[in-house]
Amino acid sequence: MKSTPYNLVMSALYKGMKGDRPPVGNPTSIVCHGLMDACGVSFPEAHLNPQAMADLALAGHEILGFDTVMPEYSVDQEAAALGCEVDWGDRNTMPDTKYFPHEDFSDVVVPEDFLEKPSIRVVLDALSILRRHVGGQVAIIGKVMGPWTLGYHMAGTQNFLLQIGMEEKNRIIKMLRQLMPATIASAKAQFQAGADIVVLADHATGNLVGAYHYEEYLLPIHKELTAAIEGPLIFHVCGNCTDRLEMFADAGFDGYHFEWQVDAKVAVERIGHRICLVGNVNNAEVLYQGTPADVYKQARYAIDAGVDIIGPECAIPLSTPMENLKAIVSAVHEGY
Amino acid sequence: MSDTLQQIKDAVITRQRTEIQGLVTRAIEEGIEPKSIIDHGLIAAMDVVGQRFSDSEIFVPEMLVSALTMKLGLESVKPLLKSEESEPKGTIILGTVKGDIHDIGKNIVKMMLEGAGFEVVDLGVNLTVEKLIEQIEAIGPDILGLSALLTTTMPEMKRAIQELQAKGLKEKVKIMVGGAPVSNSFAEEIGADGYGADAGEAVVLARQLIGV
Repeated sequence: MKSTPYNLVMSALYKGMKGDRPPVGNPTSIVCHGLMDACGVSFPEAHLNPQAMADLALAGHEILGFDTVMPEYSVDQEAAALGCEVDWGDRNTMPDTKYFPHEDFSDVVVPEDFLEKPSIRVVLDALSILRRHVGGQVAIIGKVMGPWTLGYHMAGTQNFLLQIGMEEKNRIIKMLRQLMPATIASAKAQFQAGADIVVLADHATGNLVGAYHYEEYLLPIHKELTAAIEGPLIFHVCGNCTDRLEMFADAGFDGYHFEWQVDAKVAVERIGHRICLVGNVNNAEVLYQGTPADVYKQARYAIDAGVDIIGPECAIPLSTPMENLKAIVSAVHEGY
Repeated sequence: MSDTLQQIKDAVITRQRTEIQGLVTRAIEEGIEPKSIIDHGLIAAMDVVGQRFSDSEIFVPEMLVSALTMKLGLESVKPLLKSEESEPKGTIILGTVKGDIHDIGKNIVKMMLEGAGFEVVDLGVNLTVEKLIEQIEAIGPDILGLSALLTTTMPEMKRAIQELQAKGLKEKVKIMVGGAPVSNSFAEEIGADGYGADAGEAVVLARQLIGV
């Protein structure tokens, strides 16, 4: 196998042949001020304009040396298309939804022209641009929100979790099921537009809910989603999910993008034979606050543990130094 | 402990939000001191809930309902406190930093601090430094609590503290920080006076910071 970025990522995703080195990937945003300056594209333009979105994603490969390009930097694209008012932020702030249109858990209807809404179209067009530029050379990653995250956007996170605490299971399940078609449509369209892999982010995070919540509310829905979306899916969820690792493999995801709080060795031992592991260099203390030497050390720990694709654990702080991102690349270029 | 006090405590722990006000009324009718209902019923229950949360036996959904149950109990009992008992232990300003609209952790901390006898002024989410400075000058709080959930918004915490330093306000207020990506070392680096890993720790820290 030729050790090209595309081959390395796709082979690692399916636990296939190993090339000269592990791939370095970013299922979530690696945009920082340095990268914006280096390629001349900034937020919020990169959330709204497909060419700017694609250019910033390409910079992750061309300037930082990542083996993937991922053009969706916010978690709000679907929410905007479903009627949430989104503040697209500025150079220093990430976008956020401002109001929650279904706080009362009223019926959510995915609009017929959902895929043509500007916030969805921009991602599809950016993926197509990337396909034309680096298709077959670099792994192109799309990103969609799962119904749990969309539920936060529709009802408000605290309200959503409060209903779970109050054991209003029917309300929650009804909303999740009404949101599933948005996730499925968005993911399928991203594959058609040019994505090699799609990240499905669903923030039933370890700090917010327990394994028992995931098993009761979300595991059955994730099984249906992975069956309905045929292309390769990497599941992203934040927090310490050591208590539910096997469930992510049971759900049928091809990969799991995880945070440093889940020890890489533990993850590899428990589910490494069933799912591709992606991550898990710490954002807060290492990439943002640490030195390139700290980053290198943690990346090498992940490689030695057997993590398949090395990268930051989650979307990085915008003031992360570029040298720290490059230190991940240096670590993987030393090989296995 | 009386049966009713024990039942109040259990009701908060087991999230019986529809029962709590009836139980508090019964305790008052039985002649139990309002302060005792708060200290030995409601707050004692939240200490247990906080510990279960720290031990990952329960998570935010359960914590929210217990906090709501405590709040309902407090609403019933607070008007009956003697004036010296209702004097707040201190004033705390809370807010989630600019660019971050996540407020669950902050809201739970607020409920716990209020339960523990502090007066809390909640400045909400996406808090600009300008608003923060204006409110600190206007209110003169004992403690400022800043929250950030995202690694992408942590730098705002640092920036806020730098601005307070520049305005000469940092020495006038104790600063405590928290939120999922925040750590003790980050708190030290940015010049905060303390870090709480969860709502229970935030209450302990607030008491330590102003010696109550």
